[in-house]
Amino acid sequence: MLSEVEKKTRKFKDYSFYSAEQSNYFLMPFRFFRLNELKEILVNEVGDFLIVPNGTYEKIVTRQINPVRDVNLYADLISNFFISEDVLHPLLDVLAARYRTKKSFLDGFTSLHIFVISLRCDHTCHYCQVSRVSQDRSAFDMKREYIDKGIAMMMLSPNRYLTMEFQGGEALLAFDNIQYAIERTKEQAEIHGKVMTYVICTNLSPVSREILDYCKENTVLISTSLDGPAFIHNQNRHRPGKDSYEKAIKGIMQCREILGEDRVSALLTTTNLSLNYPKEIVEEYYNQGFRSIFLRPISPYGFATKNQLKNHYDTDHFLQFYKEALDRIISYNLEGYFFREDYACIILKKILTPFPVGYVDLQSPAGMINSVIVFNYDGNVYASDEARMLAEMNDYTFQLGSLDTHTYNDLFYGEKARLFAEVWTNESLAGCSECAFQSYCGADPIYHHATQGDLSGHRPTSGFCQKNMEIIRHLFDLMEDEKIKKVFYGWITGRT
Amino acid sequence: MELSVFNDCLTIKLSQAQYEEAVVYKCFYWYSGKYQVTIKKEMENWNIRLESIDVSDEALQRLTEKVSRDLSDFKLRQIVTNETKVIRELLTAKAFAHHETDESPETNITDPVGFDPSQISQHAIRS
Repeated sequence: MLSEVEKKTRKFKDYSFYSAEQSNYFLMPFRFFRLNELKEILVNEVGDFLIVPNGTYEKIVTRQINPVRDVNLYADLISNFFISEDVLHPLLDVLAARYRTKKSFLDGFTSLHIFVISLRCDHTCHYCQVSRVSQDRSAFDMKREYIDKGIAMMMLSPNRYLTMEFQGGEALLAFDNIQYAIERTKEQAEIHGKVMTYVICTNLSPVSREILDYCKENTVLISTSLDGPAFIHNQNRHRPGKDSYEKAIKGIMQCREILGEDRVSALLTTTNLSLNYPKEIVEEYYNQGFRSIFLRPISPYGFATKNQLKNHYDTDHFLQFYKEALDRIISYNLEGYFFREDYACIILKKILTPFPVGYVDLQSPAGMINSVIVFNYDGNVYASDEARMLAEMNDYTFQLGSLDTHTYNDLFYGEKARLFAEVWTNESLAGCSECAFQSYCGADPIYHHATQGDLSGHRPTSGFCQKNMEIIRHLFDLMEDEKIKKVFYGWITGRT
Repeated sequence: MELSVFNDCLTIKLSQAQYEEAVVYKCFYWYSGKYQVTIKKEMENWNIRLESIDVSDEALQRLTEKVSRDLSDFKLRQIVTNETKVIRELLTAKAFAHHETDESPETNITDPVGFDPSQISQHAIRS
């Protein structure tokens, strides 16, 4: 039998409830941002959004939205958890489940384990700190002892699904080390019940049939670099013979032939030179048979900062490059060809789906330690790849310890990890805590330490903030066009 | 809001009764990239100084309009933050509770003040 209170709630509300000038709803947590002079965006705790005329946020907060007069908006606000007719929204548990889903990338803890298998390299790229080391194997290759210890540490991760990524230098110069590491990991993964993914990051110049046969046998993915057409790539990536581009393209074709089309991907490094050629770079990727491109700015860390002329540029300049390149990519899609920009795709997934995206550079809590860890060739352990870059320039802030001297708990839950934990959630950072784009963005203590000398960072002068705010705003702008919105949905669902 | 300009410095006087501390700091934080910002409490007002501003009429007009709008926006944001603080905490607590449910205690609870806790629980459910 229903209690009196329960019976009462089932009755139709009195007419005066609907006709009152000031409504009686309760606010739910949400944020707003002015998109332009006409429109503003409201975003709730799980990233659901409404684009509304300017002034709507004020009306909502001052209880000027009327359930009868503004029936559609009122219904949208109720159904999207912006307001509630009860003190506790009746579907609060549903919202909590969705919040948990958005943060579910934390459930498994560290998945990506980077092994810097050798620091030796056959290139001398002007933005790379590791390209100038000698060919001395004993000094710059990862010792087997450290490979074993790194694998043992990796097996302690609570995550069942692990990615083992081999980086350099040029990782393939120490292919014997990679083989050793994979064979050893296969045994250990069997014992510990881990499901492994292997990735080799390589410029492909030392690649051979034998290497690729081994990769095929062990389902190893290849991640290479392509900076654009030959005149950009070879200018960025110096090697004897000035044939880095030719070797990369030949290697990509060989990978596709032996491993399969989808087993090789390429990453772009955007230098000052690249900024003048957005269309040419996109067209190069398209013409080489790639169906996606990742437009990312150069990391302002370590050696890249030494050569300011070639590697330093304003965020504004990068954003202009990004938008022009994105326009070219979208035009391919509007002509009927599937071609995706990966950074936009990451953000769009956060905006348009209830799921998290496993991208370590744009998440809160940050990817460092939570999703990625780096075992350096010399046994030192770093919080991320960027942390290692800083260490190569003698900044050891993000060195968590050593495979020789530290336990799993020391490295992953130690004093340094706890220090970083205070600044790795954007929910608690100045400037981010009230930002409407918070759930689409992330925190990056390493970037802010490197560029501003402050782990928390100063948002008004942060290139990270400027870049992400503008890209997210631009994507919302573009989605005003239904055709482009359809293209974006195609990118996140994989449907053309 | 009272505004005054001296040399390249804009001084803004705000009533503390109208603008709580969080609103003032959150708003003028965003000006600290471009200007040197000083915030002081003076009697019943906030005294905010923005130094190194462009004092041309047009720029000053734009700046004061922006300050006015930002203050209004941050005041609204703070209302939402204050009003939804408990819901936000409850939401994250529920989200990370790992499906834990409240269970009735399985042992007899000591009742030092003379009431039965299980009765309180039932009463709370009914109301």
